[in-house]
Amino acid sequence: MRLKSVAALAIAMTVLLPATACSSSSDESGGPVKLTFSTYAWQKDTVAATKDIVASWNASHPDAQVELVQVDADSVHDKLVTQFNGGNPPDVIHDESADIHGFAEQGYLADLSTLLSANTKSQVSQGVWDSVTFDGKVYGMPTLMQSYNVFVNTDLLAKAGVSLPTADQPWTWDDFQAAARKTTSGSTFGAGWGLKSPVSAIMSLSMNFNGSFFTTNGDKTEFQFGDAEKQLLARTHAMIYADKSLAPTSTSMATGDVLPGFFGGKYAMIIAGNYNVQQIMEQAPKGFAWKMLPPIKGESTSQAANPQTLSVAAQSKHPKEAAQFIEYYANAENLAKLAQGDRLIPTTSDAAQAVMAQTKGANGWDTMILSGKSLAVAPFQKAEAYPQWKSQIATPAFQQFFANKISIDVLGNQLKSGWQTVNTR
Amino acid sequence: MGLTSTEVRSESSNERRSRGSRQRRQRQQQRREAYLLLVPALIPVLIFSVYPLLNGIYLGFTDSRAGFNRTTHFTGFENYVRLLDNSRFWESFKIGLVWAFGVTAIQFLLALGLALLLNQRLRMRWLVRTLALVPWAMPSVIVAIMWRLVYHPDAGLLNDVLTRMHLINENINWLADFSFALPAVIAVGVWAGMPQTTVTLLAGLQGVPGELHEAGAVDGATAWQRFWHVTLPQLRPVIVAITSLDFVWNFNSFGLVYVLTEGGPGGKTMLPMLFAYNEGFKYGNFGYAAAMGNAMVVLIIGLMAFYLWSRMREAA
Amino acid sequence: MNTRTRPVIRLLQYAALAGFLVFLAFPLVWMVSTAFKPPQEIVSLHPTLIPNHPTLSNFTMALEESSLVRAGMNSLLVAISTALLTVLISLPASYALVRYRTWLRKVSLGWILVSQIFPQILIVIPLFMIMKQLQLLNSLVGLVLVYLVWALPFTLWMLQGYVRAIPPELEQAAAVDGAGKVRTLVSVVLPLLAPGLVATSMFTFVISWNEFFLALVFLQNPDLNTLPLALARFIGAEGAVRLGPLAAGSLLATLPGLVFFAILQRRLTSGLMSGSVKG
Repeated sequence: MRLKSVAALAIAMTVLLPATACSSSSDESGGPVKLTFSTYAWQKDTVAATKDIVASWNASHPDAQVELVQVDADSVHDKLVTQFNGGNPPDVIHDESADIHGFAEQGYLADLSTLLSANTKSQVSQGVWDSVTFDGKVYGMPTLMQSYNVFVNTDLLAKAGVSLPTADQPWTWDDFQAAARKTTSGSTFGAGWGLKSPVSAIMSLSMNFNGSFFTTNGDKTEFQFGDAEKQLLARTHAMIYADKSLAPTSTSMATGDVLPGFFGGKYAMIIAGNYNVQQIMEQAPKGFAWKMLPPIKGESTSQAANPQTLSVAAQSKHPKEAAQFIEYYANAENLAKLAQGDRLIPTTSDAAQAVMAQTKGANGWDTMILSGKSLAVAPFQKAEAYPQWKSQIATPAFQQFFANKISIDVLGNQLKSGWQTVNTR
Repeated sequence: MGLTSTEVRSESSNERRSRGSRQRRQRQQQRREAYLLLVPALIPVLIFSVYPLLNGIYLGFTDSRAGFNRTTHFTGFENYVRLLDNSRFWESFKIGLVWAFGVTAIQFLLALGLALLLNQRLRMRWLVRTLALVPWAMPSVIVAIMWRLVYHPDAGLLNDVLTRMHLINENINWLADFSFALPAVIAVGVWAGMPQTTVTLLAGLQGVPGELHEAGAVDGATAWQRFWHVTLPQLRPVIVAITSLDFVWNFNSFGLVYVLTEGGPGGKTMLPMLFAYNEGFKYGNFGYAAAMGNAMVVLIIGLMAFYLWSRMREAA
Repeated sequence: MNTRTRPVIRLLQYAALAGFLVFLAFPLVWMVSTAFKPPQEIVSLHPTLIPNHPTLSNFTMALEESSLVRAGMNSLLVAISTALLTVLISLPASYALVRYRTWLRKVSLGWILVSQIFPQILIVIPLFMIMKQLQLLNSLVGLVLVYLVWALPFTLWMLQGYVRAIPPELEQAAAVDGAGKVRTLVSVVLPLLAPGLVATSMFTFVISWNEFFLALVFLQNPDLNTLPLALARFIGAEGAVRLGPLAAGSLLATLPGLVFFAILQRRLTSGLMSGSVKG
């Protein structure tokens, strides 16, 4: 490598690079307002729908232009931490309610209660609003929600003589456990459940039995582990080790990883987020007959609402325009498109109606819209130190419990003492 | 050569004084030359590395936490006292050591074997040399995802092959099994780190003069004896250098393991860097996380003290 | 290797080589296989190496949805610039650190060590604020500077080794012959360092090509995305991955690197040979 050619190449690079450099900053001196909107949409249809929404907004709002920035779902939190603490966050932020709690406490999100219209507010149920309200202020517009549902291989269930539930007569957990027992035979397990990240699923579904795990009085949050909390845990454990109807290897898999086994007839039923309908439709082998069941019932069909949210950064220079974009994004037509792209439940009643009208309830949409009615905020979502407890204490403890390394009482003690350690504020 | 030879003759005090000032001027000129050569590196390093690094280190002595308009206070050694009691941190530090030693040692042995092979006149050498660099060609996120696919309990290649070979009759969830997770993750770490070690060792091998080998053969030494008594000693500086560098890098890695297991199951693969990252980025305790970082720096430098001491002597 | 080896040993050597080949290459082979499989086959319980119904749809999806080509150009630009700049800067610096006795030598060793051990993740926020002040956020120039500083510890470490291997007498001889300092450096030192420079620049290229987190944090405009960012598009929440397009995209992203290595692999090892890190 001759020095001259190397130097020439280097100079060429340093000249070319600034030509590609492009920094976006809001225009302060008149001219259109520039907003950045970061989203983690990743399903093909959702991405297309999001791009359409931004494009149509930009076309009809020449004075407030939105720049779309895509982030992958796993990196959303980290990028936001850096941007918030570095003072350069996007104006409109796509995140989820579990994540924005922390940012709200840290003062990085704007209060939307004054910025959203009364019409928008009336569209979403109070239980769902509560999941994005902290200290009396609203920090995000809830958009799309998921529920945990049972998916069944209808052929295998028919073969075992198990009858399917209907919307008015959903299965109880007892029914589910019985069905699992009946369909376990040979190399087939009655059920598979990807519980590698167990906390969200367990906490949410324990609401079926009113197992709230946490009670908040003012700003003190206490942890409890009574019979209500033990119900779901004990039933799941029994399915794995007593009934042997729930595949033990499945409980250490990620939620979506159970799909190959589901398609291959290894698990007659699986519990997964309802959005997996998309994956199932794309990946199932031809002739695979399946159905998504209405939400399972404990004492109720309640599950925690953890909606996707759109928030406005506190450091944003144009909160009003940002909020207007959010309302546009969440209007009936747009939200319906996004819901269908992501296979998630829209939070607003108008959008839910639109989805029903467009899909006529096919492909499990009737079940999904119905499931939406069971979703409301859960107590654990209000506990401030919950994220740390979840990842440092609860996740390893639950994993050990499902691997039968510790008993349920030891689990309870670990969870309780762990909460006391992290809840120092 | 010419310059270094000095003529011996007696100097008068005048000559000594002028020699002294000439030497001083020479040294001044040398120092100026040195700084001139160093300035292009110094400036970016000071701005983009040293300053943030010092900032990060300082944070370890404060109660800095994420938050808008939060004030940070100097707290001295409070974080470290808290850290001493943090059994989870020490557990993960232990796992980090097992991981770093495991990956570095296995990586070294495999890379040495491969380097020795590539040093031979074998056919298709170019193909293997290129493929030895495959792990370098893929970002670690992709590496982790591909390996996760291989380790998948139901649809993964590993279980399929092992079942066909009748080595197991039940599928194992490698990345989530309490006994297999750490070894499984170490295997991926070894794979990902093969290129730099193999390449460095191969270069070192090619630097061993052929005459030494021939002399050994003439003396009737076997291949093994030649390797042990000729090759290895020549290779020692390279080995020490690359293994200590590998150790530091391996200890510091977390991206790979994060995608593979997120530190599970039950914390069995929770590497210390992942632990510190969670503390800082997930829970917002920047000061405490920085304290963990400082603790790790001190401990690792302490562990490598011997090797470092010899480097420092050289630098003197 | 000047002595003849027995055929049995040769056979064992080829067997061992084959073993290594399988170990190193099979994830790549698996990625190739996955890239051509339709979604139904990827989730099959009995994975096959050769797809039963090979398809190109993953490639079209990858190319269409993630502007892979533009991301590739960005990555190429950033990686080559970083490699060149880093080498240009660390060459004189490592020379100075070896040949001149300054206090900076010890300080630089300390900095190299600490910067490698201290969790990089905790440096990101102060770095972010500096970049913001300098208006280098959301620019490839800024990213190159960050990568440059990130790679410098390793390149300085490596190049110091190579410089140390050059006998100082050679330079002194040139000086006696009347050459000025600059000419000595260019005509004597540089040619001897050339292989080492190749090795160092290759390594810097590789780490910039694959880097993800810094690019994620410092880039915003989707037109500026580097390859790892573009590929991350196919990664969803809770471990869900669109494996088909991801494998196809990763394959396309890996190939240039492999071709590059195939061409340079001979240069690389003979480059590291002359007095690598000889302790």
